[in-house]
Amino acid sequence: MHEGIKRVGAFEWEVPIGFVPGMRVPGRFFLSEILGEMLEKGAVQQLANVATMPGIVKNSLAMPDIHWGYGFPIGGVAAFDMESGVISPGGVGFDINCGVRLLTIPLREGDLAKKRELIERLFSVVPTGVGSKSRMRLNARELEGLLLKGSKWAVDQGYGMEEDASRCEDGGFMKDAEISPVSAKARQRGMPQSGTLGAGNHFLEIQVVREIYDQEAAKIFGISPGQICVMIHCGSRGLGHQVCTDHLKELEAATRKYNISLPDRQLACAPLTSPEGKAYFGAMAASANYAWANRQVIMHLTRKVFEEMYGIPYEEMRMVYDVAHNVAKFEEHMVDGRRMRVCVHRKGATRAFGPDSTDLPSCYASIGQPVIIPGSMGTPSYLLHGTALAMDKTFGSTCHGAGRVMSRSKAKKTIRGQDVKKTLAKEGIIVQAHSMEAIADEAPQVYKPSHEVVRVVHEVGISRLVARLEPLGVIKG
Amino acid sequence: MTYVELEHTADVKIRVIAPTLANLFEEAARALMEVMYHTIHPGSITCPISITSDDQISLMHDFLSEILYISEVEEIVISSADLIVGEKHLKGVFRGEKFDPKKHRGGMEVKGISYSGLLIRWEDDHFILEVIFDV
Repeated sequence: MHEGIKRVGAFEWEVPIGFVPGMRVPGRFFLSEILGEMLEKGAVQQLANVATMPGIVKNSLAMPDIHWGYGFPIGGVAAFDMESGVISPGGVGFDINCGVRLLTIPLREGDLAKKRELIERLFSVVPTGVGSKSRMRLNARELEGLLLKGSKWAVDQGYGMEEDASRCEDGGFMKDAEISPVSAKARQRGMPQSGTLGAGNHFLEIQVVREIYDQEAAKIFGISPGQICVMIHCGSRGLGHQVCTDHLKELEAATRKYNISLPDRQLACAPLTSPEGKAYFGAMAASANYAWANRQVIMHLTRKVFEEMYGIPYEEMRMVYDVAHNVAKFEEHMVDGRRMRVCVHRKGATRAFGPDSTDLPSCYASIGQPVIIPGSMGTPSYLLHGTALAMDKTFGSTCHGAGRVMSRSKAKKTIRGQDVKKTLAKEGIIVQAHSMEAIADEAPQVYKPSHEVVRVVHEVGISRLVARLEPLGVIKG
Repeated sequence: MTYVELEHTADVKIRVIAPTLANLFEEAARALMEVMYHTIHPGSITCPISITSDDQISLMHDFLSEILYISEVEEIVISSADLIVGEKHLKGVFRGEKFDPKKHRGGMEVKGISYSGLLIRWEDDHFILEVIFDV
């Protein structure tokens, strides 16, 4: 472990106040020794930088998939006091509400005929890759409806079932969304992209439930061994990226205006009570809604493909849940024995609310929130549930994925997309993408082992394992 | 190749070296396009650009953010630019070709230009830029 970091538990480490000048609270992160060997110094520095921000409550936190990002580390979680605290786009990221949803298909692995045809059909139906455009033609008014009502808007337009929106965080839309702080540029970028997957690490994957670890929870979540599922990973596209860029500039000026001293310009922030802070929050919430609508439309397109190819009734393809990875939200948490309203930033981290928390659909109240952790192309994904311990320790948060371990430049030099495709094909996994570079760039070996990341959150108890899902086929941007 | 790629685990970190500040901005725009579209060719579309920012780092940040926006919305793959660059202001013209999925879909989607690690320095008679693109 790097110098200056203290071990405070089997998987828990502390970055003491003083690690960087101006820290207001200690940093805390969760890692096994194996994952500790992959920890970059830059990521710890970023975790400590977050601890210098005004109004931060309890700890600057990071999950076991911590890695070096910009502003906050990826895997970073921090809560800020509503009166004295700040909000920062650097704690959310460019891809606002990048997230994952899981759809169950009433098909067994053995019944999944025509797998290659299925992947090819999905690849042609769901727009993917750089420069891809939606087949939906939104006008300005429809875009506003989408920005205000997210998944709910999409369902009302015929892109899903009522139940879908209720199985998203916040019922599929943040009620504090505001249209006016979403710039014309952001709207222009968002208009043609709703219902597109994008590129990079975004994907749509056909999976099979390979192992159940918690029978009771699996039953409640509606999954069983051998069952086919679809996992959809994408975000708010150009609209969210532009909102981040626009407000970063505004908040840069606000940082100076409110005399906030920061170690990294990407942490530019404003008081939660300030007009600048409120404008960013409203625009960010609208972008989060855009992302929920985006995943809703892609899920609808997927259901239609299964309906056409396998004759499965639309309403029998039920969604387990949808989680957001990059978002800031107002939530109530117990802090030092008192209930407190805080603004929780999760940057590459997943909400993991325990049983009986607010904002859970009634069907999941007894077990806690479903937590969906995607693997990489060749590695398993996991379904977990949130816990009471997460509410105590991490503001109800857990990891969001495997986390990269190899840089893109190194991946480019050492991995050939064609080889990855062949190797995965031997394992029965079909990969469809626009370029071999895109496959090489996201090869399984560039990520930390997803099972080790998930093992740590399970052992610590900030979420508990329910099931392992393995990939059968994937489409990428 | 107008740039070198530096080690960064999650995103794309690049270094651009140029003899003048204007060249540094022009080459940075080209580098962004190469990351996004992989293959770029000279084009006949021209478009004016003018940006004012608080300081030189912000100027680079805002310029690259604007290039990203224009490229996506106007569907232009920018191949070159002629710029006049001051401390807080730049203006000029860039050229490019229309985005064509068959030619340009092999690259990476850049989500934004990060302020983290963004630096411009003068060393050995050259300007050096380091910047991280969120991908």
